[in-house]
Amino acid sequence: MDDFERSIPKKIGAWQASGKDQLYNRETLYDYMDGGAEVYLAFDFRQVWVRKYAGPGGGGLTLDIYDMGSPGEAFGIFSCDREDPGAGIGQGSEYGFGLLRFHQGRFFVTVMTADEDEASGKAVLDVGRAAVKALGSPGPGPDIVGFLPRESLRPDRTSYFHGNVNLNNRYFVASENILGLDRSTDCAFAEYETASDKPGYLLLVRYAGAERAIAARRSFLSSYAPEAGPEGLAQTENKKWVSAVVRDRYLIIVFESPSPDWARKLGSSVGLPAK
Amino acid sequence: MTHPLTRRDFLKGTTAALLGASLGFGQNSPAVNKTRVILVRHRDVLDENSAINPDVLQEMLDEAVMKIFDESDPVKAFGKMVKPGETVGIKTNVWSYLPTPRELETAIKRRLLDAGIAEDRIGLDDHTVRTNPLFINATSLINARPLRTHYLSGMSGCIKNYIMFAESQPALHPDSCADLGSLFKLPIVKGKTRLNILCALTPQFHGRGPHHFSRRYVWSYKGLIIGQDPVAVDTIGLRLIMAKRREVLGKDQELPPVPKHIQLADTRHGIGVSDINAIELVKLGWNEDILV
Repeated sequence: MDDFERSIPKKIGAWQASGKDQLYNRETLYDYMDGGAEVYLAFDFRQVWVRKYAGPGGGGLTLDIYDMGSPGEAFGIFSCDREDPGAGIGQGSEYGFGLLRFHQGRFFVTVMTADEDEASGKAVLDVGRAAVKALGSPGPGPDIVGFLPRESLRPDRTSYFHGNVNLNNRYFVASENILGLDRSTDCAFAEYETASDKPGYLLLVRYAGAERAIAARRSFLSSYAPEAGPEGLAQTENKKWVSAVVRDRYLIIVFESPSPDWARKLGSSVGLPAK
Repeated sequence: MTHPLTRRDFLKGTTAALLGASLGFGQNSPAVNKTRVILVRHRDVLDENSAINPDVLQEMLDEAVMKIFDESDPVKAFGKMVKPGETVGIKTNVWSYLPTPRELETAIKRRLLDAGIAEDRIGLDDHTVRTNPLFINATSLINARPLRTHYLSGMSGCIKNYIMFAESQPALHPDSCADLGSLFKLPIVKGKTRLNILCALTPQFHGRGPHHFSRRYVWSYKGLIIGQDPVAVDTIGLRLIMAKRREVLGKDQELPPVPKHIQLADTRHGIGVSDINAIELVKLGWNEDILV
């Protein structure tokens, strides 16, 4: 990342780098963020390189390049917070309301302005296009995402993460960590089309061993669906269904299923690798 | 472990009760032994560019503080909180995306001066309160910050504003920052907070992006939520955030995950009241789109 100071232009269009570039690591990230550091620390975040640019009209923007340790982790942090249309930058991107987010290789990048004018928005995209050239080749996403059933999947709504804080911000399940999620667990959360306008959801969690997966299912059912029978299936108050099954060291939970069969079919379609 | 709050509690409609935010309270309920919280709003405190009118803001602060103390004069009302000769710290918040407005800091300071506090004995600080002599020696504190959601604690309000008094901030992060209420028992703070001001001029009701801030989730509410009890003030702030989220994001995203620290500040740490039925919410001023 030390190279970014030279490899990323200090002048992009009419915008000029201002101040000294900054670098923060896992220990110092709190100095840079209030309210956001834990999001990154829940992943394999290594360090973030920060540069500010000043515009001709007095506006400003901030370029953050996060070294997430691997392409999978970079995809993960990108995937947990998607709301906007793609911007065609890097391996995956989105832009809206002055915020550009994208990932490329092991890097996750944000370019953000608080200014609302059109010129600032264009500058955000220009800086992003300049930065991506310094980030090297694309890399593979997390393997667990590849286990998700493809049929009816909304691919741009799939998230990858490890911790409970990320799950709850993506889809609130419970105020306590009833699934026992931590840095050692890998989670894929996906949305699926249903016959109605409301999606169904699939949460796939990989634990270190089958015992942990079984214990997590027990904990989940006890807190979330105590009325579920041996199949781990229960109807919720909105007339949808929730199911939880364990296969090997994977816990598969289907939320908001329109029917028991839909939940069974989606759960059984998860393509886990052979032992 | 007590029953955790789950998504299904939303579906059952029991989350409000679980959060101590039950419906059915109001200005008409008996006020005996209730903690008073003032919600004051003014249509003209912000212009179309969100610039603050300092005179209107001063008026809002004065009205609220007079109402808290049943006084007709703002200086006398402030005089019930602080006395000449005291050292007073204004704990502000400098978060760059949504700081405590300078105009609010000025309004507070003006009334402290009017109440007889010497200018050189008024501290204004955020990140360095632990080492600032004016805060180390303070006999009174005024707690002032904006209302917003927070990725870990669900909501940043008056309780969380004291995290800069902690020796270790990360130590307070586990379990959705459950024990933020303990901050009010630190020796540098304990028993000193005279007023809590939750600035809801432009609250943030949802967060995203690298710093959990997006201007699309900030709205011009033009209010201040003020009281002597930080837990009661934050309880009202949470109700407002939930109402706005329900309106914009939908019922199933009503609750920012997971603001348990507010209720625990009451039930575990005993520093204030989170039971909405024990709070007297007094609404002053502009009523349009009030939400709570």
